[in-house]
Amino acid sequence: MTGIAYYLRVLRVVGAIDFKAKYTDAALGYVWSLVKPLAYFAVLWLVFAHLLLTANQTDDFTVFLLIGILLFLFFIDAVSAMLPSIVDGGATLRRLAFPPIMIPLSASVAIGITFCVNVSAFAVFAAIQRVEPRIEWLLVVPLLAELYLFTVGLGLLLSALYVRFRDVGQVWELAAQLLFFASAIFYPIGILPDWAQKVAFLNPFVQVMQDIRHVVLGGASGPNDLTAGDVFAGAGGRLIPISIVVLVFVAALVFFRREGRYFAERL
Amino acid sequence: MAAAIEVSEVSKTFRIPHEQRTFFKEYFLHPFRRPSYERNEALKAVTFSVESGEFFGVIGPNGSGKSTLLRILAGIYVPDSGRVRVRGLLSPFIELGVGFNPELSARDNIRMNGTLAGLTKRELEAKFDDILGFSELERFVDQKLKNYSSGMLVRLAYSIAIQIPFDVLLLDEVLAVGDEAFQEKCFATFDSFKEEGKTVVFVSHALDLMERFCDRCLLLQSGMVQALGSPHEVADLYRERVLVG
Repeated sequence: MTGIAYYLRVLRVVGAIDFKAKYTDAALGYVWSLVKPLAYFAVLWLVFAHLLLTANQTDDFTVFLLIGILLFLFFIDAVSAMLPSIVDGGATLRRLAFPPIMIPLSASVAIGITFCVNVSAFAVFAAIQRVEPRIEWLLVVPLLAELYLFTVGLGLLLSALYVRFRDVGQVWELAAQLLFFASAIFYPIGILPDWAQKVAFLNPFVQVMQDIRHVVLGGASGPNDLTAGDVFAGAGGRLIPISIVVLVFVAALVFFRREGRYFAERL
Repeated sequence: MAAAIEVSEVSKTFRIPHEQRTFFKEYFLHPFRRPSYERNEALKAVTFSVESGEFFGVIGPNGSGKSTLLRILAGIYVPDSGRVRVRGLLSPFIELGVGFNPELSARDNIRMNGTLAGLTKRELEAKFDDILGFSELERFVDQKLKNYSSGMLVRLAYSIAIQIPFDVLLLDEVLAVGDEAFQEKCFATFDSFKEEGKTVVFVSHALDLMERFCDRCLLLQSGMVQALGSPHEVADLYRERVLVG
């Protein structure tokens, strides 16, 4: 039960069941997975593009905003789903012997499916807008992989901590709300003072989001088109958020492995 | 014949805190106070082995360490010291179930448990009807398990546990809540396990069943092996020591 085939099979089956379970009792079912980002988009677009006119600073505020919302919802929803998963999955962990990491990983897969549904809708939208696909768009794939690695690392860390400290749930809920305002999702990051930009870019999520915006919009978003390389001055600066991803992921695996042996008796 | 299960000098102690520290607040308020613990020595240097093909009973009063022992055999708990060796594939049935999610239907629970236990998609498809058939719950396959009675849950859980390919089966109080018809069905499977040479570890409070099915029995009391031998002798000893007092 340790082979890679086993891991993939569990992720596919349990991830799909998790995804389905989220929407089974809802009359509109999967439609809700689309409604959430659209609702965010509608409100933010109305407020910032029409009422406050911050959108004037960018040419492609619509796409700019959509990318931010889709990535942010994936990041937050995935960590929020992974966080309580070990505690909630206690019944299974106390009765079957299997690698406990499968529970939070499956939760992340379920949110990943939602993300894919949303991206497909985004693609349709982009096609209607007649956005020309470009070869650079392929760079989005490794960037999404980086975001997934960071998300899973953070989720594993928090899910294992949550077994010991239930405060983690409150802390994360607050952090998620603050991050929404601090992560330049609906405003250009260039309007922040220099020091604040540096702090913001320590969060790998911000680096990935800015890079994806840069790649998709092709630098068309003007002064808002800042990436980690610009903020931390020099190519070496790009490595700062990436090292944080690696650090979080490795620390999470080590911590989860150590704690995981005792989940069954602590739950 | 080689031993299917070897347990040597296995000990397990749980620390039960007098106050739960699951919130940061307790650490901030009393940073230097070490939480006081009660030590519950669930198992103390337990040693025994089970032969391949043996139907092995474990009896003992509540809190004697039976479930902890089964969980250690299943690899769910890690022993503090000692060594456990299980040869072959193992299928556990612990605490009336195999770990269900009450919010999911029986169909999804079967798929989830089967997959976690290592079945491939094809194996699962092949076994699915057998699992459902044995449990006689075909009509309720798409109902959420929170609407199942405890008897129905045990039927489903037992059906899954015995359909997962195994050499060693761990059965913890499988007959506690099922009806008579289900019990008879279980007895029939017990007989077939014996014919097929499967190893079964059977935990129960029903001494007559111990005497009827088991080849050998182990009496566990306060985490220690009190007796190990023929089911009749051990059951008599249990009646004498525990039931009479």
